[in-house]
Parts: sequence; structure tokens; C-alpha cells
Amino acid sequence: MAEYHLTSPLKEEEIRKLKIGDTVYLSGNAFTCRSRLQRYIFDEAHTLPFDTADRNLLIHNGPIIIKEQGRWKLVSFMPTSSIRFEKWGAKSVKEWGLRMIVGKTTMGAETAAAMKEAGCVHVSPRSVSPNLWIDSIEVEDVYLFDELGSIEAAWFFKINELGPFIVDIDAQGNNYFDNLDEKIAENKRLALEKLGITEDFKFTKLY
Amino acid sequence: MIKTDIYEQALFETIKRGATEISPDVRSAFEDAIARETNPDAKNGLVATLDSMDMSAVRKNPLCVDTGWPIFYFKVGNQCELEGGFVELENAARRAVAKATKLGYLRATMKHPLTGFDPGNNIGMNIPDFTYQFVEGDGIEMSYAAKGGGSECFGGTRHRIVAFADGIQGIEKFVIDSFVASARAGAVCPPSVLGIGIGGTANVAANLAKEAACLRTVGSKHPDPMFAKIEEDLYEALNSLGIGILGAGGKTSVLAVNVEYAYTHIAGIACATSTNCMIARRASTRIHADGSTEKMQSPMWFGDR
Repeated sequence: MAEYHLTSPLKEEEIRKLKIGDTVYLSGNAFTCRSRLQRYIFDEAHTLPFDTADRNLLIHNGPIIIKEQGRWKLVSFMPTSSIRFEKWGAKSVKEWGLRMIVGKTTMGAETAAAMKEAGCVHVSPRSVSPNLWIDSIEVEDVYLFDELGSIEAAWFFKINELGPFIVDIDAQGNNYFDNLDEKIAENKRLALEKLGITEDFKFTKLY
Repeated sequence: MIKTDIYEQALFETIKRGATEISPDVRSAFEDAIARETNPDAKNGLVATLDSMDMSAVRKNPLCVDTGWPIFYFKVGNQCELEGGFVELENAARRAVAKATKLGYLRATMKHPLTGFDPGNNIGMNIPDFTYQFVEGDGIEMSYAAKGGGSECFGGTRHRIVAFADGIQGIEKFVIDSFVASARAGAVCPPSVLGIGIGGTANVAANLAKEAACLRTVGSKHPDPMFAKIEEDLYEALNSLGIGILGAGGKTSVLAVNVEYAYTHIAGIACATSTNCMIARRASTRIHADGSTEKMQSPMWFGDR
């Protein structure tokens, strides 16, 4: 498992090299999004008010940002759960030309298929450590603040060696967590056995 | 009589502490998890999380960007007198939540469930949530818990009626099935503090599970050996799964398993689970009848645990 230091805008060839389990640190241009933004664009037929060509790194996140002496100040940051946005995942990858999504909880099969086709990966944090990250993030700008509110707005970040993140969906369509699921299922079988709960246990059906 | 400005200030300080400082018992469980972790990535993740939490206490910023549902628990002395009464206590709690949000200790996370309207201050219909317990005495203990979206939304909180025919095995199977499903890919932000409610109606079991997850001292045991054994067996079982921090693999999947129970109907055993995220945010303050206040290390919601 390799370690990469990548700068956005990300290039297809460097993304296709990444494999599940690899570690990445990220620099360059990124933007944030949560479900309200995706619903606004894809379900309510608005146009994204900025170009993602030089900003193909999306961070699923609702940051805490306050205004201090006329400047935006990032108070806290933690990638949020991507699986909630599965409905718009494939569309986001294709229509916004994304090369990487940072988020928690991985994403589903439809997004993974779109990522394979387009050359995009999903990466996850290994810790809950906002204070180790906020110094690596500069808040540059914000779009749709009035329409969507502070948490759901699209924030532009300039990031510097933000990480570490683990590649959990690679551009070959593999999912790190699918592989881990098999080990966990076997451990679960052993744990149940130890508690005297056999494989043929069935709940008495009450409803 | 305890003056309004005293309890309002105490409420604000309790929220601020709960949002920015890790509780000593949770910190200790983290240190234990770091000591026994053999997966280097998981160990680094636990260390990074603890480092960040320690920095929050210094920087006075939220331990996590998701500052959760604001939930209050009041243990009220039977002779406790508050200026303005309990209606004013709840108004003061709402003002304190709004103030903490304005100052950036809480994120404006609470929204209208249908329109998505964001009031910007975490105040709305039935939120914050208030729970009361009445005891002997003339003071009041207040606990603030922040229940994160990850820990609550991805199946960590669930309910099932288990038949008496299935007994303890049915309860344990339900808990393990639920936890494995909800912790996949780190959805509930493991290692979790897992609360389990057994008995009562469904809502009683669910409330006990939430209180066991959010308020029980991490490392405490149920005084009844039957329930202590379920806690111990499930703690061992869940920590043998290899889920680890944020579900990416590792030795510690739960920091604690806390069981609380109520008597139930002969027809079935209501069971509920509630996961709290690894940070398990909460803080508690005691106000005496003379208005003096003291920080509490742990809520002590269930007597001595």
C-alpha cells in the first residue's frame, strides 16, 4: 500500500494509479458540498455557479465557518458521510468532472461504477481530528451561501497536505470496505459461536 | 431559590464544556484503546483523534464539526426551587444553546424535518430535548449531551421485540447484527459507546439505550451480575470483530457496552440499541440550593454509574 501526495486539479492518470488501501495527502483547490447543494442542482434544475475544471476535488462536509474581522475563519472541519449522497453520486462524478471525493462511510455501487468509467476515487479519514486539519485549510470563497445557508453552501478551500485519507473506492471499481466485510463476517460467526449462538439461530417471528 | 442568571450561566458553561472537552472517562478508554491497538493505521487514527480532542480543550473549539442534537438531562431535587420555575429553566437552556451556536461552539445543525429550514440557532419544535429524573434533595444536576448525526442516523439506534423463547441469545444476536451493520465503513463513528435498553415499551427501551450510551460512565459496570455479564460478553464479542476506528480495521470497535433494563410485558422483551460516537460528548454541572455550582466528572445519571 503506497502513499501519495497529490495536488488538485487532479489528473486522470495519477488517479487511475491509486489502489484501495493507499494513503493520500491532498493539496490545491477543493470545494465542499452536502445533500442540499446536490438537490438544488440535480433535482431543482439550477446550474452550478462555478467551474469545476480546475477544482475537481469534492469534500463532503458541512464546516463550521464564522466571519471574524471581515474574513472567513474555519472553526471546525470533518469529512461527512458520503453514502447519504449516493442518489446524486454518479451524476456528480460525471457532470462535475470529479477526480476525487473525500467523505466518510464510502459510497455505493452506482457511484463506484461511474468512478470506474470516469477515473475518480473516494477516500476516507482514519480519525476524527478537526484540529489536525483546520490549519491545512484556507477558506477562499463561498457560493450559494444565501440560498443554502452556511453548512450546505459550496465553500472553496485551498488545502495544503490535508490527510491522511485512505483510498476506499479506486478507479478499478474495488471497495476497501467490501473486502473488510468478509473478514468481519467471519469474526462475527466466531463471536456468535462463542456466545453459544449457532448459525441456524432464527428469531421467533413476532411480526 | 436558585436565580435564573446562575442556572442560565451554568447551562451555557455545560454546553461549552460538552462541546469542547473530552470527558475523563472517555479519555481513559481512548488511552487503553491506543495501548492495545496493533494495527498501525488504527493506532495512528486513535492518537490523532485524541490529540485533536486535547487541542479542542485549549482552542475552545468543537471536538467534532457535527455538534449533534442538543439534549438535556436534569436530575432534580424534590425540594429544588428555581427562579421562574422549570418553564424558565427550559427557556434558559434554549437561550444558552442559541448563544453557544452564535459563538461557534455548536454548528447550526437542527433543521425543519420537511422544509429543511435552518433557524441558525439549533432551536425549533421539540428541540432541544429535555428529560427529567426526580431525587431527594434541594439542588439540580444538569447534563448536556451532543448526539451526533453519524451515531444516530446510520442504524446505530434501532429496536426489536425479542420473544422470551429467544431470551438472552436473541438479545445478543440482535445487538451484534445491529452493530455490525451500523458500523460498516465507520458509519456510526466507532469505536462506539454502545447503549442497550432491555425491557419496557419500545420507547422506554430506546430511552434507556440512549441514556446508557450518552450518560453512563465509560468503564462502569451494571451492579446486577446478570446484566454485567451481558455487558462483558458483548464488549468482548464486539471487540473481536476487527471493525476498528471509523470501520477501517482495528482491535477496538466499542469503548464500552452499557446495559440498562426495565421490567417488561410477558408477551415480549423490547430491546433497543443506541451507539454514541467515539467522542461521546457530554458535560454535567451540579447547582446547590445556595446557588453555588460545581463541575461533575460524570453525569451519574444511573445512581453510582
